[in-house]
Amino acid sequence: MSDAELMRQLAALVGQPISDAGPTVAPDPVNQPMIRHWAAAFEDWNPVYTDPDVAARSRFGEVVAPPLMLQTWTMATPIITGIAERGGSPTDASRAAVLNLLDEAGFVGTLASNSEFEIVRYLHLGDALTATTVLESVSDEKQTRLGTGHFVTWVTTYTVGDEVVGRQLFRILKFRPGGESS
Amino acid sequence: MSERAASRTTIDWHEVQIGDAIPPMVLVMTPTRIVAGAIASRDFMPVHHDRAYATVQGAPDMFMNILSDTAYCSRFLTDWAGPDAMVKRLAIRLGVPAFPGHDITYTGKVTAVERDGDDGIVEVELQALNDLGEHVSGTTTISLPLGGAVLATSSPRT
Repeated sequence: MSDAELMRQLAALVGQPISDAGPTVAPDPVNQPMIRHWAAAFEDWNPVYTDPDVAARSRFGEVVAPPLMLQTWTMATPIITGIAERGGSPTDASRAAVLNLLDEAGFVGTLASNSEFEIVRYLHLGDALTATTVLESVSDEKQTRLGTGHFVTWVTTYTVGDEVVGRQLFRILKFRPGGESS
Repeated sequence: MSERAASRTTIDWHEVQIGDAIPPMVLVMTPTRIVAGAIASRDFMPVHHDRAYATVQGAPDMFMNILSDTAYCSRFLTDWAGPDAMVKRLAIRLGVPAFPGHDITYTGKVTAVERDGDDGIVEVELQALNDLGEHVSGTTTISLPLGGAVLATSSPRT
């Protein structure tokens, strides 16, 4: 595929949902066991995450999920078998068309570069989260220290029912490992 | 290295000034820390738990995932600001990777202090460095209740 044809196909995906599968529904509602696991992993002992008594006296009035756990609730439940062969994609269905297109063009390396969160409100136990992700942009080919690549940016809107609880801009670099010329 | 514990009290917005330094946070970087963070954030990409896989991808070792980075930034802020602080916004850019054996130091300073109705708004610029360079740089906005919250009683700073 020529560079121009690749850019044309990439441009056609911009503004579209990242996956044909529709919005991602969290497999479990916001819950204390996953919060406690998260808090332990990051040694974040903010009492409003795990102590109901302190949380009740806080501005939040009840236990809340760590705000930067937002993305975790809707991460795909992985199929461990074959995950390396899928380049780290948790499932086949979770593979975004834009990433397939770049992989096929040789940009098989992936590196996260930016993550920007707006937290509208903290999540409560029982909140059922849905994430809707749209491809925001794909950059022209750039030279980076890792090799030639494209920056891919998507924007996710997190909702509980009809209520927007947060937004996230996420940018990765898809690159040709080793920096070989195209 | 002594543990950096979460504050049980919320800082007083009226005492926060532009230029205030956030108490530094040091992370001793072990493989366990990287794997624990990746799995707790439900990120199963092998580069975050499998050294052999990471080296085939051209990295010298496994490295920390970005969900762990945003988690540690949030902890860095609320360990200081206290349980009534609310993280409203966090924007980070990743620089050099975080590998085992390369401890990370988080530092930050207050860049703006504003009032928004019943909330005190504080903006912070933060940075995480290891011996390879700048791992994370970012900006963030937190809000503090102005007198309304039971926990907002005193400042942990001296």
